[in-house]
Amino acid sequence: MIRFAVLLAPIGVFGEEGMVSKPWEDVIVNYCLECHDADIQKGDVNLERLLDSPFDEQVAGWVEVLQQVESRHMPPAGEERPDEATFTTTTDAIVAALDSFAAKHPNPGRTDPVRRLTRTEYQNAIRDLLGIDIDVTELLPADESSHGFDNITVGELSPALLERYLDAAQKISRMAVGTSQKQPDSRTVRIRPDITQEDHIEGLPLGTRGGALISHLFPRDGDYDVRIFLTRDRNENVEGLHRPHQIEILLDGDPQAILRVTPPENRSDHTKVDADLRTRIKVEAGQRDLGVTFREDYSSLEETLRQPYQSHFNYHRHPRLSPAIYQVTITGPYDSSSAGMSGSRRRVLPEVPGAGQDPKAVAAENLRLLMRRAWRRAITEEDLDRVLAFFEEGYAVEKNFDAGMELALSAILVSREFLFRVEPDPEGLAPGTPYELSDLELASRLSFFLWSSLPDEELITAAEAGELTDSAKRSSQVLRMLSDPRAKTLVTNFADQWLYLRNLETITPDGRLFPDFDDNLRQAFRRETEWHFERMMREDRSVLDLLRSEETLLNERLAKHYGIPHIYGPRYREVKLKAGEPRGGLLRHGSVLSLTSYATRTSPVIRGHWILENILGTPPPPPPPNVPTLDDARIDENLPIREKLALHREKAACASCHELIDPVGFALENFDAVGRWRTLDAGAPIDAGGSLPGGAEFEGVAGLEEGILSRPEFFVRTLTEKLLTYALGRGIEPYDDPAIRRIVRESAEEDYRFSKLVLGVTSSEPFLRRMTGSPSSSQPSSH
Amino acid sequence: MNFLTRKSIPRRTLLRGMGGALSLPLLDAMVPAARAAAGDPVKRLGFVFMPMGADMTRWTPRSEETLEELSPILDSLAPVRNKVTAFTNLELQPAYPGSHATSNSAFLSAARAKLTESTDYYLGTTVDQVAAKVIGQDTQLPSLELAMDLMQTVGQCDNGYACVYQNNLSWSSPTTPLPAEAHPRLVFEKMFGEGGSKAERSHALRRRSSLLDFVKDDMSRLRRELGPADRTRVDEYFDSVREVERRIQKAEESVAENPNPDLDRPVGVPAAYADHARLMFDLQVLAMQSDVTRVITFQIARETSNRTYPEIGVPDPHHPLSHHGNDPAKIERMSKINAFHVSLFAEYLEKLDATPDGEGSLLDHSLILYGSGIGNPNLHDHTNLPVLVAGGDSVGVRGNRHIRYEEATPLANLHLTLLDRAGVTVEKFGDSTGMLSL
Repeated sequence: MIRFAVLLAPIGVFGEEGMVSKPWEDVIVNYCLECHDADIQKGDVNLERLLDSPFDEQVAGWVEVLQQVESRHMPPAGEERPDEATFTTTTDAIVAALDSFAAKHPNPGRTDPVRRLTRTEYQNAIRDLLGIDIDVTELLPADESSHGFDNITVGELSPALLERYLDAAQKISRMAVGTSQKQPDSRTVRIRPDITQEDHIEGLPLGTRGGALISHLFPRDGDYDVRIFLTRDRNENVEGLHRPHQIEILLDGDPQAILRVTPPENRSDHTKVDADLRTRIKVEAGQRDLGVTFREDYSSLEETLRQPYQSHFNYHRHPRLSPAIYQVTITGPYDSSSAGMSGSRRRVLPEVPGAGQDPKAVAAENLRLLMRRAWRRAITEEDLDRVLAFFEEGYAVEKNFDAGMELALSAILVSREFLFRVEPDPEGLAPGTPYELSDLELASRLSFFLWSSLPDEELITAAEAGELTDSAKRSSQVLRMLSDPRAKTLVTNFADQWLYLRNLETITPDGRLFPDFDDNLRQAFRRETEWHFERMMREDRSVLDLLRSEETLLNERLAKHYGIPHIYGPRYREVKLKAGEPRGGLLRHGSVLSLTSYATRTSPVIRGHWILENILGTPPPPPPPNVPTLDDARIDENLPIREKLALHREKAACASCHELIDPVGFALENFDAVGRWRTLDAGAPIDAGGSLPGGAEFEGVAGLEEGILSRPEFFVRTLTEKLLTYALGRGIEPYDDPAIRRIVRESAEEDYRFSKLVLGVTSSEPFLRRMTGSPSSSQPSSH
Repeated sequence: MNFLTRKSIPRRTLLRGMGGALSLPLLDAMVPAARAAAGDPVKRLGFVFMPMGADMTRWTPRSEETLEELSPILDSLAPVRNKVTAFTNLELQPAYPGSHATSNSAFLSAARAKLTESTDYYLGTTVDQVAAKVIGQDTQLPSLELAMDLMQTVGQCDNGYACVYQNNLSWSSPTTPLPAEAHPRLVFEKMFGEGGSKAERSHALRRRSSLLDFVKDDMSRLRRELGPADRTRVDEYFDSVREVERRIQKAEESVAENPNPDLDRPVGVPAAYADHARLMFDLQVLAMQSDVTRVITFQIARETSNRTYPEIGVPDPHHPLSHHGNDPAKIERMSKINAFHVSLFAEYLEKLDATPDGEGSLLDHSLILYGSGIGNPNLHDHTNLPVLVAGGDSVGVRGNRHIRYEEATPLANLHLTLLDRAGVTVEKFGDSTGMLSL
């Protein structure tokens, strides 16, 4: 193959527009063509063709080459490789060529022109518009995820979804206004069955045990029934009911009632035990926290013969020691004569018609305010008339002002201006022309990126004053928004999806091997990681701090799991870690470590892949369709995982990727499948030696972190790509490369502070501009 | 809560309601399931699961070929015996090694449950779901899964089997159990939304339809805003709007036709078992009558249930009674529970038979399986299962029969046959060996 390379070398042409210049050509000829020439095309990569074509026609190909060389994936470790200086000059030259191409041919990409709100965005929009907290999972179906996020594939509107939108709008409007109902409404809340309820639960008063805190919107002043069912075991007996217990009902922390539950006299007939666990409480309209919990009697810690487990939720494995709440049903209002004055009512009807006032005129004033927020723009008279027609339709039935406002609000909530984000191509532009987004379009881009919600009044006003197309003023808005409490969605919506924390809800480690796993631990995992990200964001730290930390967030449950002593009680607190406590950075979190494991064992493959994908941004390609499966039957079940995987890599089809993936995951082998520290696996000492795709070898998680942080631009680039994907709602394309590089470069000057990354995204070409569509590409490619 | 106690309105009453101007043949055309030519499949399938077997000496009909002479457990079926068939010597081999979890899981799947207590459970697609994929596609809900117990236990439940096997009767794939709902209100809302009187329901539909008009108007505006390239997307939205319009229209018709003038939402869970069970059966009648779904499964109680039945003089929990150790007193009390369950089923059949549907009754256009995955519960035995089939007159299934097999015959053969009669062709189901003659 070298022969070919030599023959080809002189063909590069100087000076011609768009052709390759010299610096990288020699390097590629000398180090790459042995495998990637026109004959062999290993991995379907033909660099010979790349070298022979005008640069402008091969931009995507060069972006790919750049990423492979930059990450030192190529040339592979073990082959002949250029020295570091050559690596750097080569990549710098390619970058310069790509930048210059981008300057000549700007391509901000094309987001879908019509995108509906995601479920999360809908929930937040309702919160910000009406001041109520709905559980949107009860109302709308889950969104599909693509490119790692659920706000990408949001172009469709199925009949089922449209029906759900109609239902949701009507239900929310009725609750928000508090219109009087003939029949009481009812909501049933079920508590996860794998929650241990033996200890105090955060948010409930001290001296109580178990139960739940339920945020509920009470639509009107009136009486409400609260009905409780207790958890039953597989024999339908109430679990853990060995002596009388008291259940306390609280409203916003104030005790309302105490219910008593006693074991049945004959010990066996549990049919009626919880039949009378109900009470009726008087509630003033509004969003309130209903607490349902047991009074702690301090004798409930029964000694057991077996090892006392941390978790108690399964009759066979680790039975409950005391009863637990299974379900709470809230029904009402009964005897309601007044709508009361809930926060949402104040927002929907700030004005009610007084004597002699025209109800329609008052309604118009109310609606104008609501519509401006909901529709994110100035409201015209025509807009208002369309919605006022609904006020009149609702009002006509019983001359009821509330009923009119309720129906008008329903219309606002099913309107496309509320449900969809639309970025139509401006008229008169040729297909494929980049153009600047308007101020109002930017206001929505900013608020849905930073808050997953509607713009607030300040942002709309700024947009109307033309301030968002002004770089400095836009930046000050971004910083304001980042410090707002609403930016918390960057943790709960962005980071949760980026790090796969959403999958935590569905992971269930094997009950025999990990009897201590329950939902309490799962939530503690989530809290730790969310706190970690939020601290980085709120304190505007370097994003590299995600991988390194001397503190973490613990409560007793999590501390015990980690083997860290002297942390007592369910309250979470920031804890300074001592030497020898292998916690802190993201890669040491129970959340990440268990969601990258199987139910019964660790998986270096999943962990390695997770790191390549989410931290280093160099995901290996998916297995080829003809890949042979790991023949479990021929591999001794008792071999340590490292040896099993070594056998796996003996197959050539597996080796090319798994030689990159597995060694990354091996570095985390000191953490078991639920993230506990270990030094032995199946009796054999753990070997946590690993390596990164560039070839650097190291020992354990500390070595891995050091390896990642020694070239921080990869991690920062990955996070930037994820942020940009999430901010735009489309997948990253090769033409985005210069913009991403620029964000990383500029943030490096300020130690990769989080706000620099965010500002970089919000002032990037793809965020501020958009490409008009071509008639042939009516369907966006990112599906 | 008893919103179905009102007698069904005979079809003629509707004529009066509509001004009496319509002639009968036209009205018949409105009825969705006018009896078609012979050979047409049965319209619906129902499956009712009874836990922990029965005392077969008190179950098996006394008559050898017919149901003229029933049995202590089956006596309540007398009023509908002409539409019921009893089977003797059906078995469920895939439920072995005997356990409660597998009795439940194999009953409709005829599949062996993978022995695990973790989340890597694996079973098979159940017969109702095989049917739902074909006959459930034209209705609002492809299928409806109901139970009597508010349970969602997790982890291990029985001899190393995960609780999912014991909790879920219906599986849409070998790894997808379908949780059943036991709360009458939640079932009702799933089917009918908020219900209400006729006037309220049509008022609600009118509001819905004007909101939809608003959406449609919005979409037209949106279409004008977008360039030609992006309009196809909006055209798809229009298709959805039209589909929802069609559904509202259908719902409006059903409000007009529905013989139950008031659909009052049940609020809570009735305290007495029988009331709760009747309500759950009523909801099934309502679902079929309104054609909300054509496939229903129902656990009348769960395996290992410790429910007591003081209302019929059985204060002992069911599960320990079923391990009776051949104690005659215990067997007698267990049989009372068996008979009680059957009597609730019999009431359901009577209601179905009293509800007109095309030419004939709801029952005539349905096939309903009733039975248990356990024969003799004392042994966790899965042979000679207590099994009944009701309905099917429209496809020529004759009732009043007691079919006895000389050799133990897979229950899966019956599943295969029910599918066939519902127009769903599969070659084999679970451990089936062929079709039965029904």
